[in-house]
Amino acid sequence: MAEYERAEPNAPAEDDFLLVERVLTGDRRAFEPLVRRHERRVFRVAVAILGNAEDAEEAMQDTFIRAFRHLDQFRNESRFSTWLTRIAVNQAIEKRNARKNYVPLAEAETESSISPRRFEPWRSNPEELYGKQEIHRLVEEAIQALPEIYREVFVLRDVEGLRADEAADVLGVGIPALKSRLLRARLLMREMLAEKLEQTPSLRTKVMHAAVDAGTAMAMKVMRAAGM
Amino acid sequence: MKTMDCKDVLANLSVYVDGEGSAELRHALEEHISRCRRCRVVFDSTEKMLKVVTDADAFNVPLSVSARLYTRLEKEWSETSS
Repeated sequence: MAEYERAEPNAPAEDDFLLVERVLTGDRRAFEPLVRRHERRVFRVAVAILGNAEDAEEAMQDTFIRAFRHLDQFRNESRFSTWLTRIAVNQAIEKRNARKNYVPLAEAETESSISPRRFEPWRSNPEELYGKQEIHRLVEEAIQALPEIYREVFVLRDVEGLRADEAADVLGVGIPALKSRLLRARLLMREMLAEKLEQTPSLRTKVMHAAVDAGTAMAMKVMRAAGM
Repeated sequence: MKTMDCKDVLANLSVYVDGEGSAELRHALEEHISRCRRCRVVFDSTEKMLKVVTDADAFNVPLSVSARLYTRLEKEWSETSS
């Protein structure tokens, strides 16, 4: 296979179904375009779960081998990409759990509410300050710094664009759990990138904001006292 | 709909940035953020964060990684056909 063209993330699902049919009727070469089209997402998801490219590469290979061997179990009720992503998530999680030093993060430990701490507006055009490569690096570092249960959800939903029901299905969690993790993931990402992307406030703006916040708190107290 | 406090509003951040929720809920959220600077900043910067992440996603499979994947598949196919 000589071509390594970039995957088409929005390739029509119908094409996938036709290719799967061809593989199942004995034309195994039809599996190649399926690999080309989806390898990027599979690798991305594996890196998100495993945290490094070496383990993710192995998980990606195992994912496609498994998908090829069990293609007859694919039912057209879901998109091929969702079915494949579920295999990739399972392969990566299996690999992660097999690590000797792996300590699963109990959900309860992460359930404390994540309150926003930074309240400066962000720049509209971060490209004015940072190059594309630099922004890419900042985003990747922030994603890798997320606790794993948030990283998985964030990559599936906000990077790979899976629907909430698809991401919940792929991760084997309910939609309420998925939404709660996603909210925390987004708030954490916002906090982590804030330092780089906030506008630097002038002293005057800082004083004004402090006054507005104090004024709002005072107004709330007065309203509460007045039973409003 | 009763007036929402900052905690209720924050719990609905995803509803807002994903463009979901009833018209009534969205109206209540918009009403709150129009008068609460902190929530306005959090909502606005979360939307900007999502845009930055989407725009920055230049993630590619390295060519060597891709090549090794195809080699392994070729091996699998040669074993299954023999």
